[in-house]
Amino acid sequence: MLNIKTIDDTTINERVYQLNLGPQHPSTHGVLHLLLKLDGEVVVAAEPIVGYSHRGHEKMAENRIWEQFLPNTSRIDYLSGLIYNQGYCMALEKLCGIEVPERAEYIRVITSELNRISSHLLGIMAFVMDIGAFTPFLYGFDDREHVLDLLERVTGSRLTYCYNRFGGVRNDIDQEFCDGTRRFIDRLRGRFKDYHNLITENIIFIKRTREVGIITEETALEFGVTGPSLRGSGVNYDVRKNEPYSVYPEFDFEIPVRKEGDVMARYQVRMAEMEQSMNIIEQALDNLPQGPVRSHVPRFIDPPAGDIYFAFESARGAVGYYIVSDGTRIPYRIKVRTPSFSNLFVLTRILPGNFIADAIATLGSIDVVVPEIDR
Amino acid sequence: MPTEGQKKLLEELKNSLTRALPEGRITSGDYARTGYHLEVRLSDVGMRRTAMVMKDNRFYLETITAVDFPGSFELIYFYSTWHDDICRVIARIQILKDASPYTVSAIYPGAIWLEREIYDFFGIRFLDHPDLRRILNPDNADYFPLLKTFGKTKLTEEIDDILC
Amino acid sequence: MNITQLPFIKEIYGFLGHDLVAAVIGILIILVFVPLNSAFLVWVERKVAGHIQLRPGPMEVGPHGILQTLIDAVKLMSKEMITPKLADKFLFWLAPIVIIIPAIVCFVVIPFSPLMQVREMNVGILLIFSFSSLTVLSILMAGWASNNKYALIGAVRAVAQNVAYEIPLLLSTMSIIIMTNSFKMSEITAAQSPVWFIVYQPVAAIIFFISTTAETNRAPFDLVEAESELVSGFHTEYTGMRFALFFLAEYTNMFIAASMGAVLFFGGWHGPFFPGLIWFVVKVYALIFVIIWVRWTFPRLRFDQLMNFAWKVMIPVALLNLMITAIVLKAL
Repeated sequence: MLNIKTIDDTTINERVYQLNLGPQHPSTHGVLHLLLKLDGEVVVAAEPIVGYSHRGHEKMAENRIWEQFLPNTSRIDYLSGLIYNQGYCMALEKLCGIEVPERAEYIRVITSELNRISSHLLGIMAFVMDIGAFTPFLYGFDDREHVLDLLERVTGSRLTYCYNRFGGVRNDIDQEFCDGTRRFIDRLRGRFKDYHNLITENIIFIKRTREVGIITEETALEFGVTGPSLRGSGVNYDVRKNEPYSVYPEFDFEIPVRKEGDVMARYQVRMAEMEQSMNIIEQALDNLPQGPVRSHVPRFIDPPAGDIYFAFESARGAVGYYIVSDGTRIPYRIKVRTPSFSNLFVLTRILPGNFIADAIATLGSIDVVVPEIDR
Repeated sequence: MPTEGQKKLLEELKNSLTRALPEGRITSGDYARTGYHLEVRLSDVGMRRTAMVMKDNRFYLETITAVDFPGSFELIYFYSTWHDDICRVIARIQILKDASPYTVSAIYPGAIWLEREIYDFFGIRFLDHPDLRRILNPDNADYFPLLKTFGKTKLTEEIDDILC
Repeated sequence: MNITQLPFIKEIYGFLGHDLVAAVIGILIILVFVPLNSAFLVWVERKVAGHIQLRPGPMEVGPHGILQTLIDAVKLMSKEMITPKLADKFLFWLAPIVIIIPAIVCFVVIPFSPLMQVREMNVGILLIFSFSSLTVLSILMAGWASNNKYALIGAVRAVAQNVAYEIPLLLSTMSIIIMTNSFKMSEITAAQSPVWFIVYQPVAAIIFFISTTAETNRAPFDLVEAESELVSGFHTEYTGMRFALFFLAEYTNMFIAASMGAVLFFGGWHGPFFPGLIWFVVKVYALIFVIIWVRWTFPRLRFDQLMNFAWKVMIPVALLNLMITAIVLKAL
């Protein structure tokens, strides 16, 4: 049992009451628990309480060999699992000095960007549903279904992928996947018009999201906010550009940035990011090199003793694997820096003074995945 | 390879860190191999001075973590910046098993949760921390899961026998 | 022996005439019609929502799932009715009854066709307004009695919202009433024989539509049961048949609101070729379709925006419209 402690006992009085939003609540995206102090409908203080889905991935890592941790990675953030999967492989490849064939790098980028699109679709649509529009949610799911079908075709699973291997990927992509991906991109571009009509230009949506839940640049710096939530605050920071990894430098894409820092800005950044992801996928498909998809790597890898920090950009922000190896086949320590952890904590700063409805909108716009926080 | 701007930034950073932390050992990391440009090694204290220097240079605190080495903990602070040339600085602080380091949460409020997490998993008590309690593990837990003394499973022992 | 030959019954019959018989039959029809209509509307809502959202909606029970809501009703009837431990038991029990009875009473004055009206009253519109205002009392009772914070927030929102939107609703109706000089539903309908009032009073029609959407707590004004914020608002703690009564009342109120709209602005049962009943029902269901369509298109407003909209936009516009109507009528 978790003991619920109050944020600050002194603030409860005749006007202020306490509301446990979650862990079972329609809009807490899993098992997040927001402890709110309310004065009427105005939030006086807020504290997210996490840990309901803690599975101990970091401890698990210390109890299994390097390869066995691969499936865990995609379960840390189940919505952008492939990106986590890729990141773990790249970190270890860097540590061990394993070469990766170029075709494999391209395939990794294609699948990761598809995964980013599916994650953003779900994130945006769940956020729109939090604001009260249910229909776009199902439109988004309809599109996301196509991504999942495509990814299922190559990776064999729809959500918790384990596709990347040390030194490449599990299997090659075929022509049908490439054609299907192109068809999907064309389709999604067409659907964007609908989304903009239905959501972005909707007057109620604009009224609900403008100047709500503002994260300033200073707050973002203090709390370590990253990802679309940071780029909505006017900071041009994306690990794919600032600290290029894989074959990202070979692609021509932009990092969408909005200045406002409000809920709307974060939504717009995500929408624009999906378009950029589509650009990347198209370029990768056009320039897909031939060759093997996996280099020869021993069955068990023995990384040299040492440590490495490897940062990459998931759909939610900058992820980092800090890996300490003592030269054996079992990791000494794997620390995962998850962006939602920092992004969620900022709520304690930005929620007070807002309405409860705005609190829900802000929570949705930050797009947290609770298992990623709880690890 | 570090670019010109990056080299300049690193040099300036190194100087300001040396001024603030005369007792620390500041070395350049091999970014291509380890993922960080600058490494600050400290013993016991100095995390707050490091944090102040880093914040003055507009770095954000990516994460804090600890590693349980035999005989001591190593606290590792990761700082990174948003601005053009990526430049990651890590500060390693060796502390004794029963030591209580100072919190940096007054400088980076985001560290409140990061330090709570370290307390939760390693049992390291941070001094002056505003709200030090469990975060991911149950509130009434009497264990610190990421200590090397905790929970070595049967499976691990088997793996040890087979592979190592 | 004929029971009507008894002196006592004869006296009542003589006193009330065929009115009593008509009333009894009418009430029986209403009591059958209300649940069936609600069940049908729930099915329509789910079907329309489904097709708007690129999915088929209920398909399993009966052809195109038409019996789905009946099965749901059976399921709800068989469920346990849970009363929370700390609830105010009497109010908790009373609230669903208080919400359904006014909804049924309102049917008494609705003119389905020139003949099909249970009771013609010279204050028909006032009757509907006064009884439908009782809904908010029930919501407040339910929210308060549940002893649940979500329910209470929902109930408090409901009171503020219903009070705010009743004013523009009445004001927009007033502009019709000063045109017809009557509160009688049948006379208002009769006055629209050549031209529907929506032609003369488009602004009032829009205000009426928005206010009734808010009065019936439908999206985008469904703050009372805003799912993503308040779980399900005032009926969070209700289960089984009590929950079903709230559901029933919601759809019945929607039907009444649409009937009012049809009578006030769309000529009631007026229409060529077909009998009045068919025209009336078609108009009502068309209006309900619009309400459903709006629900599945728009996001939800925030509470302060909702109140601002009522007090700063709707009420001034409705007053202005009423004034213009009065001036024009006087000038003519």
